[in-house]
Parts: sequence; C-alpha cells; structure tokens
Amino acid sequence: MKYFSKMRGTGGSPPRVSLTEAILSGVISFLAMALLAYIHYTFLAGTDALLLIAPFGASAVLIYGAPKSPLAQPRNVIGGHILAAFIGVTAYQLLSGELWLAASVAVSLSISLMHLTKTLHPPAGATALFSVIGGPAVHKLGFLFILMPVAVGAALLTLIGVLLNNAAPKRKYPEFWL
Amino acid sequence: MAEQLDACFPVEISDKDVFQAMKDISGYLDITPSDFKEVYLKAYDHAVRRIMTAVRVVDVMTRDVVFVRDSDFLKDVAELMAKRRVSGVPVLDAQDQVVGVISERNFFREMAGGSAKNFMEVIANCLHGRVCMAAPARRMIAREIMSSPALTVMETTPVVEAADLFTTNSVNRAPVVDAEGRLIGIVTRADIVRSNRWSAP
Repeated sequence: MKYFSKMRGTGGSPPRVSLTEAILSGVISFLAMALLAYIHYTFLAGTDALLLIAPFGASAVLIYGAPKSPLAQPRNVIGGHILAAFIGVTAYQLLSGELWLAASVAVSLSISLMHLTKTLHPPAGATALFSVIGGPAVHKLGFLFILMPVAVGAALLTLIGVLLNNAAPKRKYPEFWL
Repeated sequence: MAEQLDACFPVEISDKDVFQAMKDISGYLDITPSDFKEVYLKAYDHAVRRIMTAVRVVDVMTRDVVFVRDSDFLKDVAELMAKRRVSGVPVLDAQDQVVGVISERNFFREMAGGSAKNFMEVIANCLHGRVCMAAPARRMIAREIMSSPALTVMETTPVVEAADLFTTNSVNRAPVVDAEGRLIGIVTRADIVRSNRWSAP
C-alpha cells in the first residue's frame, strides 16, 4: 500500500517567482546564449569546432533561472559537464558497436559518478548522451569534444552567470565555488 | 529523548509558513516546501540536541556537598540534614566511595514501618496511632536505610541525561563522582531548573 500511496505526492508545489525574477532570468539567459550562439555561427563557422550544444540550454535554465540551486553551482556546471563528456566519449569509443549500450552506460555512469564527486548537474546527463548520439560532427572531435565545446562552453556559461547574476541587486552567484 | 525533543519544540511550522517564507525570498528556490520543512525540522532537532548536550552536569552541580558516612547514626544524619537544609545526602564508606544516598523518603519509609510513600502518609499513620517513630531507628545507622547503590553521574554527563536519570528512577538528586568514584559534587532537580544556561544557550 505504501508503494502506491507514495505515488500520490504530498505537499504543494513551490511558489511562483515574481515577474521581475522571470524577466531577469529571460534577459540574462538571452545574453548568455546569444554570446555562445554568435561565436558558434560566426567565428566557428566553416571549422569543425562547436560551441553551441543542446545541453547548454538546460544549463542556462539552472544558472540563470535557479542560480541558488546546488545543481547550478560552478563545481556542478563545469565539473559535471566535463565528467559526463569524458564518460560519454569513452563509452562511444569503447561501445560503438552497441550504441544502445553506449548511450545508456554514458548517462547512467555519469549520474553515479557526478553523485560521488558532488558535481551533479542534470544538463550534463544530456552531454553524456549527446557524446554518443551527436552524430559525425561530435564523433569527429573525439576526446577534444571534452575541451571544446564542453569545457569552454561550461566555463563561459558560468562566467556569464557570475558577471550578470551579480549585477542584479537581489541575485548572488555562486553560492559556492568548490 | 525523542519525546523530550518534541516537547520542547516551540513552533509547529505549517506548510503555509514554509510556502510564505519561500515567497519572501526572492529568486527561485530549488526545493519543494515539504523538503524544506523536513530539513528545517531535522536541523531544529540537531540544534536542540547540541544545546542540550552542551550543558553538562559540571555547569549546574553544587560543589559544596553535604555528605554522611555509612556508619553515622540516623539521628546525626537527620540533624545534619536539618541544619544544612538539604533533603538528601550522599553516603560515603570508609574508603570515600559513594555507596548510597539517604533522602527524606528513606526516613519516611523507616519511620512509618516501611510502607509510607510520602510525608502525609507518615503524618496520617502517626495521627491514627499506627506506626510512629519506631524506637529502633534511634540506634540505626545510615547504611541500614540508604538507597543503594547510589545513582551517580560524572561531571561530563549532559544535564539532559541526568534529568532522564531522575525521571526514570524517580529520584531527585545524584551524587557527582570522579573516575575513582570519589564525591565531587551533587546535582539536584532544583539545580537543573535553576540553571539559566537553558534559556540562554
């Protein structure tokens, strides 16, 4: 019975943030994504290098939408993405014959290791998966994928978080570095 | 321990309080109200535990302790207790070991033929002319009526543990002894109640 009663959920959902907060999150994340996308589509156009990958959209939600979250802190953003990218690329290289296994191992192992290293960052799960299913553009990079776009992108998103979140009077970022 | 913590819990925090508090803090909090409440309650528990164990027997005990020897006559024990206005004393043997405690209650029991549970019963028995001040008590010594072994505590015992001891054993005082079992003080219910370190941790 307990099993099923647990599914009902208890308690209410958290409050809605103020309109100011909603707009602030929107403006800051726009600027952050604009920077990454601009670099990606202009300076990196015609090269093999990438900077804009889907997991960064998810990171933006946390860093600019929930900067107080433990999941949004620099340790988690940078550590989580790099760790997950390493596991993802390795999984693809070792298990490319069994892509279903490479994909699932990449994500699951990343989650466990992020837990153990206190770097849990949900978007990094997407990075691990993307390392496997990202197609030729990603696979061509090999282990370089970890450095660029992943490490550079995560560092840029964090840097923008530090610069812009703190410009807002009621925001403070990060809560901690390490 | 758990019931005691609940008992001194001052405010029953409601889900609405938590929700309101979360609204007061600007920005998105990545936690559900029920998780927050759980964290809050657990933190409160830890704080109470910390504060309670921070106050130790040494902080509240009386050092100038009145004691008797196990070979002392009851009349001398009674006289001493009357003179020093205490309702109980530790009993020491010849080797300075705390071997028991004598309190008013031990006297009641003895003088009412061992049945009385409180002072009024002694009075009642006396007035009914049943058992009243057994003459043999005049020749008795401390060892014969003391509660033994003595429930003792150490200087480092948390006051909350001493309080537990009082409640579980229905006693009002405990001699404080050092590692060798020698008397260094006494802690009473009154000491614990008086201790202002409770209200200003």
